Amino acid sequence: MATIQFDSAEERRSASLLGMWLFLATEVLFFGPLFFGYLRGRLAVHEAFVSGSHHIHFWLGTANTALLLTSSLTMALAVERAKLGRGVRLMLSLTAALGTAFLCIKAYEYASELGEAASARGGEAMFYFLYFAMTGVHALHLAIGIGLVAWLWLTARRYGERYSMPVEVTGLYWHFVDIVWVFLYPMFYLLERYNA
Amino acid sequence: MRYVAVWAALLVLLAATAGSSYIPMGGWNAFANMAISSLKALLVALFFMQLRHEGALVRLAAVVALVWLALLFGLSWTDYSTRGASHAPWSARP
Amino acid sequence: MSYLTEGYTLRSWLTTHDHKRIALLYAVAITAFFFVGGAAATMMRLELATPAGDLVSADTYNKLFTIHGVIMVWFFLIPSIPSVLGNFLVPMMIGAKDMAFPRLNLASWYIYVIGGAFTLAALVAGGVDTGWTFYTPYSTMFANGHVVLVIAGVFVVGFSSILTGLNIIVTVHRLRAPGLTWFRLPLFIWANYATSLILILATPVLAMTLTLIALERLAGIGIFNPALGGDPLLFQHLFWFYSHPAVYIMVLPAMGVASEIIPCFARRPVFGYRFMAYAILGIASIGFLVWGHHMFVSGQSLYAGMVFSMLSFLVAIPSAIKVFNWTATLYKGSITFSAPMLYALGFVGLFTIGGLTGLYLASLALDVHLTDTYFVIAHFHYIMVGGSVMAYLGGIHFWWPKISGRMYPEMWGRAAALLLFFGFNLTFFPQYLLGYLGMPRRYHEYAPELQVLNLFSSAGAVVLAAGYLLPLGYLGWSLLYGKRASANPWEATGLEWQTSSPPPQHNFHETPRVERGPYGYDPVR
Repeated sequence: MATIQFDSAEERRSASLLGMWLFLATEVLFFGPLFFGYLRGRLAVHEAFVSGSHHIHFWLGTANTALLLTSSLTMALAVERAKLGRGVRLMLSLTAALGTAFLCIKAYEYASELGEAASARGGEAMFYFLYFAMTGVHALHLAIGIGLVAWLWLTARRYGERYSMPVEVTGLYWHFVDIVWVFLYPMFYLLERYNA
Repeated sequence: MRYVAVWAALLVLLAATAGSSYIPMGGWNAFANMAISSLKALLVALFFMQLRHEGALVRLAAVVALVWLALLFGLSWTDYSTRGASHAPWSARP
Repeated sequence: MSYLTEGYTLRSWLTTHDHKRIALLYAVAITAFFFVGGAAATMMRLELATPAGDLVSADTYNKLFTIHGVIMVWFFLIPSIPSVLGNFLVPMMIGAKDMAFPRLNLASWYIYVIGGAFTLAALVAGGVDTGWTFYTPYSTMFANGHVVLVIAGVFVVGFSSILTGLNIIVTVHRLRAPGLTWFRLPLFIWANYATSLILILATPVLAMTLTLIALERLAGIGIFNPALGGDPLLFQHLFWFYSHPAVYIMVLPAMGVASEIIPCFARRPVFGYRFMAYAILGIASIGFLVWGHHMFVSGQSLYAGMVFSMLSFLVAIPSAIKVFNWTATLYKGSITFSAPMLYALGFVGLFTIGGLTGLYLASLALDVHLTDTYFVIAHFHYIMVGGSVMAYLGGIHFWWPKISGRMYPEMWGRAAALLLFFGFNLTFFPQYLLGYLGMPRRYHEYAPELQVLNLFSSAGAVVLAAGYLLPLGYLGWSLLYGKRASANPWEATGLEWQTSSPPPQHNFHETPRVERGPYGYDPVR
């Protein structure tokens, strides 16, 4: 009923993939002001950013990056398996679990940094503002991603050789969220670590 | 299997970027971080997101987003890079 | 059976996936907002009839121009042509049964309504006095109004824009009828396609920038606060990165409408079709490179000002191509001055004046004199009201037979078009003079020697208000009593005229095949 506008399943799939890529283009520009604000702030008050960076947890951030990169692997495998029509649930479960683990560690980090952030002044306050804003918007995206993966898990029976578009589209979104973190990680965790 | 290889490469790059931050290189640290992050993003996009199998249109969508982001950065930078150079009577002094 | 008779219940409208019904939902919603924004403008012009600030307080006046700007920009102009006419016509003009993502299409309308509710709530709760531009540090540190609530409304409605733009782009790429190649597309499609590109590339920047304002207001820290090493001008860069292209979101679809109406009533193929298409893409792209001309006297570097000034002049080239080509289309045509044509010709003339005065403002030195005066107000109202609203009304009249299945009363249509053209010029032309004489914008009182010109302007506003109420009356009347329209009352080309008026639920009984380009008009009738 909802797909009368398409002549074939393939046309529907290619339209959905294009739609998701365009949405991701929108997302790139949604993050744009944050990245530009960071760049300008870091060049304006570099020292404050460095000292702010030394107050956040290097190892937790690094471990989280590894978790998220691994979740991208399991998501890619989920797409592959959805096309085969078997084993998709296992990969979706792993993906959601890794994403949830990331959020739990992130929540622990936030809790332990909040006091320090509240007492920060000047440029360091701006560093913390950007840190919470950027990782917060990222975490929100990840939470939405986990919700989508859970929905795929519930509807996993529908996907097979002929129809796996929702898994593919969600996969694109998941990988995009991963890529955002790949840039956030060095921007916040890795400033002049050799001086820490 | 190819996915696992990509994942392994990503973890190696993660180790490289984390490790590089302990080597004093001045401004080159930031360069190394961004170069490695871009490489990781490229790997994820090409392999996990199947960009290498996609048609011209989807690739264009991906590139256009980055070009527009570059416009935001580049044209704003015409202001930030020259703001201290000389002043009109009404403009702010940094 | 037509799409209008598929269901009569409110539920059948509010749960529809039909792009034509969603277009009408948008039409109702934006019309309501248009009159709210118009009421605020009327109050402002009444206040400005006398030099003293006697009718409303300065504070109320600030809230009036803020709500006028916010509502007219985000809740009327930006969705006007893309979401109403674009939604209705894009699938029909390319021979498709619906948009690519019908449910997303309906969702975008609901998102619009939710955003509108936030904004109206802020209005009822006491309003905002920042101006529609939300400049820092006033909006983040000093303003007392419901800034966050209004920002929430604009943020939400932005997603409605993004989803509509995304839908139009995918639809144009994936659902064109067999044989409908890119250079056989009507210019209306080109215009809406280019507009959609701007919608999806610029709107997210605004969404995040306004989020940063809200966060800075709530947290007391942020990236725009100079005390922390932040930069208030950063907000202006980010804001105008969206809000300058937003002007092209408003005017490109208007150009698309004019490009459909003028060939039809001149009975001539549009002059220089390919140049028209390229000019649309050119305006959409160059429009992204010029935002710094809003910041010439803001403290932005002079060198950046020079770059932005030069780039701003470049937009004049594709814009001029379009004006020349519409004019050349008229040459040796058999012109009928029907109501849509009057609106379209009014659009061309007013857009030209608005565009040329834009060149004054793009000149660095002259802009120092004209910044934040009524010259700027007149300039952008010539583009947005004289341009976009005239074209929107022209389009509504032109496609009214297709949308409603009824003819509107032609004499009333012509009278309204002429009244609007007269009222518009009476309202806004004096504002050019006022601005040049130095009257600043956003003040509720002014020097007594400026009263004559202000009285002209306020009188014009009354004419304009009457002109906008007229179509509401006679178009509503025609829904019940208008003459039944044939499938193609204007003898127009274009796929939308090949199906019945009003069209069936899925637009065409058989998917059309396209074998030639658009505008196959024969000069001799």
